[in-house]
Order: sequence, then C-alpha cells, then structure tokens
Amino acid sequence: MSLSKRIIKETQRLAEDAVPGISAVPHDDNLRYFDVTIDGPSQSPYEGGVFKAELFLPDDYPMTPPKIRFLTRIYHPNIDRLGRICLDVLKSNWSPALQIRTILLSIQALLGAPNPDDPLANDVAQAWKQDEQAAIQTAREWTEKHAKP
Amino acid sequence: MVDDEPSIRFASAAHRQPRLLVRLLQCPQCSKPFNAPVHLPCGDTVCRACLPSARPRTHVSYPNTPDRLQSIVCPLPACGAEHAAAECCLDVTMNKLMELIELEMSKYRLPIGDTPTRLIEKLAQEDSTKVGEKEMEPELGHERVLHGGRLLATFTMAQMGELRYNSEVEYSSVQSSNLQLDEQQYEYESLDIAFLVQLQEAAGEVTNCLVCYNMMLDPTTTACGHTFCRRCLTRVMDHSNICPLCRRDLHVPASLQNKPSNRRLSSLLDLLCPEILADRLAALKTEEQPGNETLDTPLFVCTLALPTMPTFLHVFEPRYRLMMRRCMDGNKRFGMVMYNRTGAPQGNLGPTHFLEYGTMLEIVNHELLRDGRSFVEARGVGRFKIQDHGMLDGYIVGRVEKVEDVSLSEEQDAEQGETSGSHEYATRFLAANPDIPLPFGVALDSMPTQELLDFCMRFVNDMRRASAPWLSQKIVQVYGEPPANDPALFPYWFACVLPINEEEKYRLLQTTRVRERLKIVKTWIERIQNQRR
Repeated sequence: MSLSKRIIKETQRLAEDAVPGISAVPHDDNLRYFDVTIDGPSQSPYEGGVFKAELFLPDDYPMTPPKIRFLTRIYHPNIDRLGRICLDVLKSNWSPALQIRTILLSIQALLGAPNPDDPLANDVAQAWKQDEQAAIQTAREWTEKHAKP
Repeated sequence: MVDDEPSIRFASAAHRQPRLLVRLLQCPQCSKPFNAPVHLPCGDTVCRACLPSARPRTHVSYPNTPDRLQSIVCPLPACGAEHAAAECCLDVTMNKLMELIELEMSKYRLPIGDTPTRLIEKLAQEDSTKVGEKEMEPELGHERVLHGGRLLATFTMAQMGELRYNSEVEYSSVQSSNLQLDEQQYEYESLDIAFLVQLQEAAGEVTNCLVCYNMMLDPTTTACGHTFCRRCLTRVMDHSNICPLCRRDLHVPASLQNKPSNRRLSSLLDLLCPEILADRLAALKTEEQPGNETLDTPLFVCTLALPTMPTFLHVFEPRYRLMMRRCMDGNKRFGMVMYNRTGAPQGNLGPTHFLEYGTMLEIVNHELLRDGRSFVEARGVGRFKIQDHGMLDGYIVGRVEKVEDVSLSEEQDAEQGETSGSHEYATRFLAANPDIPLPFGVALDSMPTQELLDFCMRFVNDMRRASAPWLSQKIVQVYGEPPANDPALFPYWFACVLPINEEEKYRLLQTTRVRERLKIVKTWIERIQNQRR
C-alpha cells in the first residue's frame, strides 16, 4: 500500500517543525503507525508526566480520523482504562482539514480541561463530580506512578 | 500561441504572455486587479465591490434560508443568471493569492532601476465602439512607459486602471539611460522570469489543497469560499456534507457533477505551474491505482452475483461510493465477492473476510442520488478467482484470474465418460437389485446433459403452474425467462430466482463444466421435491 503524499508531508512536518510537548514518530516498518508522547499540560494534575500513546492512520485517512489510544495509564474522566479517548474531533467532528498535529494538540488540551459531563470512564467521572479535589489528587498520584519518564 | 517545448513554456508565460497572466488577475467587471474576489456559482470571479447588491428573490421557497432568498444578478454578460446570495462568498484562496501577488509586486518594484517599456493599450472592438452610447469619437487606449519588464509593467497598468479587461497590449522598446537596446531585451526577459518565479512561489504557498496537501487539481470552490481539488471535495462529500474547513453545510450534490470549477484559479495554476500540475496528474494516475499495479480489480464484498444475470446494489458506504465513481470513470467493471461467513481458509489467501471466487460485474445503470448514495444495476460478465489482494482507500482490490468453462470437447468427453460408465454400473446394479432404486450419485451421473436440463425445466414449469411465489411475474420480469435452451447459463438463472442460501449457490462459481452446474441444480431440486413429499 503506497503512502499518500499527505501522510509523507505530515510526517515530515512533525519531525522538522515539532510542537513543544508533543512527539509522533512513525514506525520504520509501518509508516501509518506512530509512537506518540504527550507532555501533561502545566497547571494540570498531569503536569510533569509524559504520556505514551499509539496512533494509527487508517487506510482511508484523512477521510476518516486517526485511531489513537493512550498506552500510559491515566486517571481522566474522558479516557478509559484501555486508553480510549472520548473526544469529538476523533469521531463525529473529524474533518479532513484537521491533521495529526491538531489532533494531538486537542488531546493535550483535553488533559488540561477534563469534561466529567461527557465521560468515557464512568467511575472516574463520578469521582470527579463528587469530590474534584480528591480526583485531582488521584490523577496527580497516577501521573507520579505511571507517567514519570 | 502554441508552445512546442515545455522548457520554453515557462519563459513564454512570463515574457510572451504577460497580458494573459495579468488578465487572469483582473476583475472582468472593473478591470482592476481583484480586490476581495468573490467566487460566483458560475465559476468566474469578480471583486466584491463589483457585485450588485442582493435583492429579494421571487417565486422561490425552497430551501428557504434567509441568504438563499436573496439573489444577486451575475454582472458578467456571459452568465447573467440570478445567483443565490448565499453562494457568492469571498474566495479565500484567491484573496490570499492576490495579497501575496501584490506584496511581491510592491517588493519587486523598489529595486528595479530604469527599465522602460512602452505599453499601448489596444482596445477590443466592443470597447471602442460601445453600442447605445452617444456618437463619439472612438475611444483611444492608454499609453504608458513603465518599468520592470513586461509582466510587472502590465500589472502596474492594470492597477492604475488604464488597462481594460478585454484590451490587448502592444509593447515597444524605449531607450533606457544605461543599456543598449539588445542588452535591454535580454535584461527584461530575465526580469520577467525572475518575477514569475516569485509568483510561482506565492501560488505554491496558498494553493495547496488542505485535504491532500498537493497543489489543487481542478480547484473547486464551495459556497463558503473554500477551495479544494474537485476529487478531494468529492471524497469528503462521501463522508459528510459540511465544509472541511468551516463546517458549513454545503448543500451540493455529492457528485459535484454540475458544479463549475474555479475557472480563474484553475487557469492561473495552469499558466503559472504547468510542470507541477503535470506531475500531479501523473502521480494521481498511480495513486488511484492500487499500490501494486497488478491488483487491478476493485472488489465489492457484499453479495452473490452470477454471470449474465443482473445484480442490484444500493451503494451508501463512503468507500464504495468512491469505488463506484472510479469504476464509472474507468471500464465500469468491478468484482463482486461474498462475505466469508464461516471464516474458512480461502485457498492461498488464508482466512480472508471474503470468499475467493467472485463474479465480474459491469455497470449498466448508475443512478446517483442527490445525497451521494447511488443505485447501481450491473450485469455479470464472467467469473474469477482471487489470486492476491490488497487495500485501496478503504476497499479491497485484487489480482484475479478468470474462471472459465472447459472446452466443448472436454465437456463432451466428460459427459460421455460419466454417462456410459454409470450406465454400465446401473445396468449391473439393477440386474442384481431389481427392487432398489439407484444410488443418487449414479442416477445423476447417468443422465445426459440435455436430460438434466429438461428435468430442471420441467420443475420450473411445474412450479410456475403451481404459482410458486419465487417465480412470480415480477421476478421473471427482472431476471428474464429461463434460458431453456442453454444448459450453460440455465443454472445461473435458476440460482438467481431460487430462494435458497447463497453459500449453496456459491458452488456454481467454482464449476468449470456445464454438467457440474446442472448436477448441482438437480440436487437442489431433488431436495425441494423430497421436502414437499
């Protein structure tokens, strides 16, 4: 399967013009499969953590969104225990004018702004709503435990 | 002007066709370089200020969004149609391009020294003698001495408002203070070319399609003013009907069939970047082909289709919309294969999610619905076996090998062998066991091919007399009368109308002998008859 010009260009730009706090490196043997790291945003309970994720560009990308999943465990109401992410631009609000870079930035922004009203991990969202401070503390502990490089 | 060699096309656009290039940047209405260009539904472009104001539309009630109930009469004489105000939007790409071009022009104007050219505006016929105006002296064109080579000088003249859209320009040399005339000629040409390179770079920056990241090919502009390759926009419309950039509802037929391209942008890119576009077209040809060029058959994984028989499809999945479009642009053929429901290994292919034998279909009727779905009527033209497969833009493509019946002589040999062999066996069997019916396989083998067909046809006729619902008039209308005289095709017809599961019918696709197929059909009939007893 040949790689589209778009994927080649996106990959080049990700390498040449990297976004601070975000990296995405394709596998040598599968250029549609990327190892991703996202730094926890400052002022959030994820600050100081480096979160690993995997990103895959499906065959009809960019008509359909990239598939992305956290590999590092993270305590967040919109990310479940399998690392799946609840984010509109990864699903119904995807547009081919978006790209890997913008998607990763959106995910980083999601870490900075958890949305317990649209939960994927119900237990976490519950905890978040009942006692936000305690939930944030748990998120901080998880970051310490799982996401320290 | 015809360019013989691609290498001189570059220079010719800059030096020999400055008028052509500048005209593409001029508003056909006010003749000045575009200022806030608006893309019109008819495909052309005018300045926003040159657009007449919107007026309420009469006799229109659908769709009745407020901006569609206002209309703008197209100011261009070639069109003159009433455009919905909602569809006359700032052409974002063209606007950016104009900004960049003007910036380049002004940067360029500074360092050029004394490089004069005389430009004489040659008015077009209709401009010099305007109908309906008072009898006047025929108007004369403007005349200027301007610097910086022909291209910049021509653009400058347009900026000054002294070059009408339809006018031509006559250039002549003017002695400059520091150069000989022949040196001057050379100097100007290099000025033009250097300037054109700048323009090309400017164009390259803003005319990349945001879907494919290539230079726009057949640029097509949405009602919201965003431009994409026609192909890219069409593919986006397979998935949703909103603009990828601003998410506005686009209300276009998904095929974009009747939507004009952005003519200005298209001609500009043709003139400025012919090489890039040629490369792009060449690349596209390979891109749309499967990566491996032998995987040349698109495969639709859906249902059972049979040779010579019609197949009706409702195409709604984005990937298959794309596949159908490509088929319609190509040889109108695609392979139909069934799902592998049991997950059984498929020969050399392993446990694929589809079965390895299929039917090649040719589209006979393709009815595209407004929302991009389509109804397809296709007819089976042959059978195949998949040798290898891959993916292309979400659908399966394969390298297939034709499956054909053996030669007639081989067919006859088989009939001879089977019937005579089992006839002998049957004689001996009946002599020994006069009261026991022949084993089914022996009875089947002993029947001549014609008798097999006659048996099947008798069944069909009996069932029709008994008004079997699967042989109703409607069904016969769709699939035709049974091919009563063609034992090779009869089984396909029969399989089409008979309500049994598709996996059973699939066996027909693997056969290479007419007898084999008829024997399969006969076993179905016997089973049905036994059930009815």
